[in-house]
Amino acid sequence: MSLSRSPSPQRGGGWSSPGLTAPYNSSGHGGRGGSAAGSGRTSPVPAFANGANVTWATAQARSAEVLRGGGRGDGSRTRGGGFLGGHWRRISIGLPQWRSGGGGIGAQHFAEKEKLGRGRWNIGGGGVSGGGGARGKVMQILAFFGRAIWRMRLRLAIVLGILLLVLGFYVTPLHRLYRRSSYLGGGSKYVIILGANQGGGVMEWKGPREWAIERDSVKNKKKYARKWGYELEIVDMSTKKRYAHEWRESWEKVDTIRNTMRKYPNAEWFWWLDLNTFIMEPSYSLQAHIFNNLGENTYRDINVYNPLNISHPLTEEYLDPETRSTVGDGDPSSINLIVPQDCGGFNLGSFFVRRSAWTDRLFDIWWDPVGYEQKHMQWEHKEQDALESMYRNQPWVRPHVAFAPQRRINSFPIGACSDNGPDPNIHYQEQDRDFVVNMAGCEWGRDCWGEMYHFRQLSNRLNRNPWEKFKDWISDGIQAARNRGKEDKKS
Amino acid sequence: MHFAFPPRKTSNPPPYAVRPSRSTPMLRRNQLRLLAIIALGLLSFIFIASRLFRSSSGSAQSEYIPPGTPPVVIVTVLDPKGNPSFNEMVKQNREHYAEKHGYTTFFPNPADYPLKTAPVSWAKVPAMRHAMTLFPHSTWYFFLDVHALIANPSISIEEHITAPARIEELEIVDVPVVPPDSVIKTYALKGDKVDLIICQDHEGIGRESFLIRRGEWAKYFLDAWFDPLYRAYNFQKAELHALEHIVQWHGTMLAKLVLVPQRIINSFHSDRAGVSEANIYQEGDFIINFTGCDQGGKTCETVMRQYAT
Repeated sequence: MSLSRSPSPQRGGGWSSPGLTAPYNSSGHGGRGGSAAGSGRTSPVPAFANGANVTWATAQARSAEVLRGGGRGDGSRTRGGGFLGGHWRRISIGLPQWRSGGGGIGAQHFAEKEKLGRGRWNIGGGGVSGGGGARGKVMQILAFFGRAIWRMRLRLAIVLGILLLVLGFYVTPLHRLYRRSSYLGGGSKYVIILGANQGGGVMEWKGPREWAIERDSVKNKKKYARKWGYELEIVDMSTKKRYAHEWRESWEKVDTIRNTMRKYPNAEWFWWLDLNTFIMEPSYSLQAHIFNNLGENTYRDINVYNPLNISHPLTEEYLDPETRSTVGDGDPSSINLIVPQDCGGFNLGSFFVRRSAWTDRLFDIWWDPVGYEQKHMQWEHKEQDALESMYRNQPWVRPHVAFAPQRRINSFPIGACSDNGPDPNIHYQEQDRDFVVNMAGCEWGRDCWGEMYHFRQLSNRLNRNPWEKFKDWISDGIQAARNRGKEDKKS
Repeated sequence: MHFAFPPRKTSNPPPYAVRPSRSTPMLRRNQLRLLAIIALGLLSFIFIASRLFRSSSGSAQSEYIPPGTPPVVIVTVLDPKGNPSFNEMVKQNREHYAEKHGYTTFFPNPADYPLKTAPVSWAKVPAMRHAMTLFPHSTWYFFLDVHALIANPSISIEEHITAPARIEELEIVDVPVVPPDSVIKTYALKGDKVDLIICQDHEGIGRESFLIRRGEWAKYFLDAWFDPLYRAYNFQKAELHALEHIVQWHGTMLAKLVLVPQRIINSFHSDRAGVSEANIYQEGDFIINFTGCDQGGKTCETVMRQYAT
């Protein structure tokens, strides 16, 4: 309250101080001067108890104002700050007052008969009340935070709103819609093809274990596809007399993928999965795990891992430089087939193909009667061997094939490829949280259902949410304590 | 402290300019807010735009073809152990024609290719692939058997055969691709979608004269044709039967192939046995084929010399 000039004495007595001659100044003193003074407000006229500086003109103005406000009731110009303001003031007067920052007894303006700080909520604490000090501090801190929150209420409201939006996105199916749409999440560009019923059907009756394997495997893929908005195509691979000749029996993988490509004309990548696979980490999206960084996540030079000893690159001089290069043109966008290799060569238990003219050609030439006639006795893995043969002998294939490190999309359980003991490049590693397990070859003398069950439980355990982890921690603790008790009794 | 009048300006100005006060920020609050909103809007726009246009970025650009590239390469596999004067005559026939139209020629040696035990006639397949490696920007690659000559050098291949409209005019649609009675019939194709132009005679698909357009399909076609499983299969007519096999069994092969009338790219010399009258060479035809000319006591050179230019 700085003034442009010093107050000067007036003829009618008192001081003329332009900034301070507001009418309420005097009314405040008249009505409840004690409390006003107690709140520590400095007033230029503390000494005059009763309207000593009221001039005739100010008194007249005040009474006119009161009349106007009371008479019409709209009171838009009254000093309380509007129509509601009056009410607000009355309410706030009626509320109990917290005396803040009281500096001991000296600051009190009315006599306090009780002992301070007893039976009273005294925020200020004060020098006298020794016992309530700690609680007073806490209250002070709380009050400080309260004030801080109140001051930042707008920003906090924005943050809270954003939080609610994010929660709403993930709680409602909205996030699935987002992930699915081809131009945002891109989920519908990926199709998972699950070959169910392999070799079953006419040839073999399914027992309860086979049904259980199928149920678990299908459920696992359904959940995954739903989570990320992918398409899932479950195909029946049971042996049917579909062809006039029996040649193409159990060569249907290629035909199946072609049919699926026709069914989903807008999808780009197709992921073949055998039935005996389990997606261990549903939280990995295909995009993040492989396709966003295709060049880094795959290798095109087979010499990186070459169990078949295929000589690479090709050296025949009549071939063009791209075909003779170890990595094709080196651009990830030219990759059309991603195959993992296990200890025995290519593995088609889990592989990706992209829709392209190249893929059409490959699928067209994959099965050929001349090749079949010469090789069907040697090619016990049928499509797999045929693909290896094409990779070896037809140079146009190489520049568009990439290999995935096996554990990226096709980890093996310890029972498969185990001739040389556990191999960290082949076998599932729990601490690395591998994406997919393929129980390849479990039907030849291993326990498919046992492995499936084991990996299902492991996946569930690894992917518990924090609340489940907490509950398990508690129950494990109790269990451990009980066991300890039993052992104590025994000993 | 209050004074009746503001104090005088000091008589001793400070030696340096006064630092602007720190209490007023560079940007006012509402300006900041506006900036934040604009930045947020821009970021979200970029995000959505990048999502929308991510997939459509990989469109094929038209590739750069250096000036002076021959549009057509004529490929003839010569036998280096054959009669040198005969080889020279064949070479000159091609070179003379190529020079006239700005084409180029390529005479590979079959020994350069890994044929192993397969018949030498297989050499034409890697030879075509080789031509595409040596002349990587040309459009059409014309294979012509060593026993054939260009009889009418004034004919240009583009106008006579490979112009899309001309292909559509020439193509023979819906006939058995392998005569006489294959169930697989040829498709009607758009002229610019054709990658293989070939003709058909009484023995089968003509292996003595065909045109391939450069591209991924050509690599696929030639490599699949040259697969060792076919070479090892002992087809009666080696690469001819392998070719007939793949065009009948694989739709992606057939879908790029057109048959044209025999006399467009491969008229027969009248000495050849079993040829229908319609396919025999007439004055003005582009190519004359002398296959079988070394039978009946004659040498090919003497027969062909009359037509060589």
